[in-house]
Amino acid sequence: MVYISSWDEFAERSIQLFRADPQSSRYAMKYRHCDGKLVLKVTDNRESLKFKTDQAQDAKKMEKLNNIFFTLMVRGPDADITEVTGKEQAETQVTKKGRGRKQ
Amino acid sequence: MVLLQPDPFLNELTSMFEKSTENGSVWVTFKRSSMKSKLQRDKLGEDALEYRCLVRASTIKKTISTSISAKDQQRFQASYATVLKAHMHALKKRERKDKKKAAEVNKKQEKAPKKSGTSTKVTA
Repeated sequence: MVYISSWDEFAERSIQLFRADPQSSRYAMKYRHCDGKLVLKVTDNRESLKFKTDQAQDAKKMEKLNNIFFTLMVRGPDADITEVTGKEQAETQVTKKGRGRKQ
Repeated sequence: MVLLQPDPFLNELTSMFEKSTENGSVWVTFKRSSMKSKLQRDKLGEDALEYRCLVRASTIKKTISTSISAKDQQRFQASYATVLKAHMHALKKRERKDKKKAAEVNKKQEKAPKKSGTSTKVTA
């Protein structure tokens, strides 16, 4: 098992891997504060993709990938992820907060 | 493993991050799951299953989990991002080779002796 060095390649391949077998795929992240290291891993128990970094800017990219995986896992592997980004999600969240009169 | 509601889960995750600053790692795993056993899955059939996102967090001492439905997703992913942002400050900013602490000290020193440039130029 090898670490993938390019973020874009990792993100693309991990989404493909999940879509190919949503039942047995998982997405994990490990954060070690003492070493300042972040490791992301996506696996379907046969193949495993890993990405390692110590850069804060990659944590920002990870936030977007988190949101993509949330969407894929909650809404299904066919969900549209083209518009999933951190900021837009936060904005829609605010608008949804209204205390509707549902009675 | 304890299954928590999303908000208590985030609180617990926060304290796991705080407890593992000196040593140890925090794992967070996402998995698509119907929260049913294999037996139940076979009985219900594929179409009757309702899938959610199972989120587990673990340190060497403790494992917690929560299950996120479509209704909770937006709120949870925003709060989760906030928790991460608040605790992942050991990562390096930009391609600086020296350690983060050193970088911070430098920054402070650079900022302090800044001249208020324009006002000094008075021609006699």
